[in-house]
Amino acid sequence: MKIKVSGLTKVYNNKQVLNIPKLEIEKGSLLGIIGPNGAGKSTLVKIIGGIETSTSGLVLFDGKPINSNLYQNMTMVFQKPYLLRGSVFYNIAYPLRIRKVEEEEISRRVEKILDEMDLVEIRNQKSWTLSGGEAQKVALARAIIFNPSLLILDEPTANIDPSSIAIMEKIIKKSNQENGTTVIIVTHNLQQANRICKDVGFMYRGELIEIGSKEKVIRNPENVLTRDFIKGEILI
Amino acid sequence: MFIINGFKEAIYLLISLDAELYHVIILSLMVSLTAAALSSIMAVPIGILMGVKEFPLKKVAVRFIYTMMSVPPVIAGLIVFLLISRRGPLGILGLVYTPTAMIIAQTVLIFPIITGLVYNATKEKGETIQNLGKTLGANRRQRLILLVKELRMNILTAIITGYGRGISEVGAVMLVGGNIRGQTRTMTTTIAMLQSMGEYSIAIALGIILLLISFILNSILLYYQQGDYR
Ligand SMILES: Nc1ncnc2c1ncn2[C@@H]1O[C@H](COP(=O)(O)OP(=O)(O)OP(=O)(O)O)[C@@H](O)[C@H]1O
Ligand SMILES: [Mg+2]
Repeated sequence: MKIKVSGLTKVYNNKQVLNIPKLEIEKGSLLGIIGPNGAGKSTLVKIIGGIETSTSGLVLFDGKPINSNLYQNMTMVFQKPYLLRGSVFYNIAYPLRIRKVEEEEISRRVEKILDEMDLVEIRNQKSWTLSGGEAQKVALARAIIFNPSLLILDEPTANIDPSSIAIMEKIIKKSNQENGTTVIIVTHNLQQANRICKDVGFMYRGELIEIGSKEKVIRNPENVLTRDFIKGEILI
Repeated sequence: MFIINGFKEAIYLLISLDAELYHVIILSLMVSLTAAALSSIMAVPIGILMGVKEFPLKKVAVRFIYTMMSVPPVIAGLIVFLLISRRGPLGILGLVYTPTAMIIAQTVLIFPIITGLVYNATKEKGETIQNLGKTLGANRRQRLILLVKELRMNILTAIITGYGRGISEVGAVMLVGGNIRGQTRTMTTTIAMLQSMGEYSIAIALGIILLLISFILNSILLYYQQGDYR
């Protein structure tokens, strides 16, 4: 879905942490958001994802403000995901069960994603016995299983081993390409932004300093703040 | 030695299904079970609501529940006694020295404990669970179900803690029940009375039963802690 943000601000205890006059994210985008700690990245995506309120401003999804129907079509994955008390299978099946999908179909789809994400071996393992990386993979699988129109990821691959990162990036890309899912991914990993994103936005002190194609923003930033930030990272 | 003799007699009373002994045991179990059930029906929804909703005077309500959680049983018993005593506002109901009075007193005692424990758990995890439900597309009703399911261990623990408190307390049931033989004598009041009379065998038998009950309650908790959904 297409997202239009206008006049968005967030104030915590008299401190403004977000100020985004205008931001448009086209349907089917794969947008990376980068920026230093405390820049307001998480705050922005939480407001877009509808689990945080803004102090002022508007977020429109295909022209409409958030409503219960939209919640059915969008999802978020956090760095420290909350897994439900139950097996891996139970967690991934949950979004389908609340959508009243038939059990047979649920089994088929869950098994498929377990296979794609290399989670078959832990299918029946209890969520609280999983390693951090496994939990993050399960959270991603649980988010993607219902083919959302908007997928928001807040540092989904922090503390994950390279082969698992590859698996996760592949499935994120796939859902963007095959289902036209709009993806917003907050990441501290510039290589990752470079590998999977089409567009990148740089945030600094609550503001969106620069946004555009990754070629431009990462390789050839216009703004001096963006340039300094990217220089600080090791980018081959 | 008197302890060993008392112990032997206790075992004998237990396996010979001594009628008076078992009446005491069953009355205790029923009174606390009823009180825990009554409390839970009110306390679980209230605890959850307090945990997820904002309302005026919420802080005061929370303070009140917390204070009530640690109220000494005799005081709870005294308040209930004054209310139901013949000259009290509810005197016409004739509840003094009946099992019903003991159920009321234990409910007064247990209700805040279950409410407080459920409230704490909901406050701690409620928002995270609600947000997760939202991000996965659960509607209001489904999110509430999800919340209860995710907190089921906490809820069970709260109820069992409340039950345990009820069955093990002496002061409140003694005050409102009066420890009347064959009518309102519970395990704890019997132990207290027999101890003062120097008769230990029944006291030991009841002690064994009380220990057994807390062992069983803990086992139930442990069992459910490992169970969950597929
Ligand atoms: N609940 C809150 N109360 C007060 N201040 C908050 C709250 N949440 C966030 N902030 C502040 O808002 C600012 C932006 O936080 P945010 O989490 O959006 O940053 P971020 O860009 O995601 O940082 P990071 O890269 O470390 O995750 C920070 O200064 C933070 O301290
Ligand atoms: Mg963040």
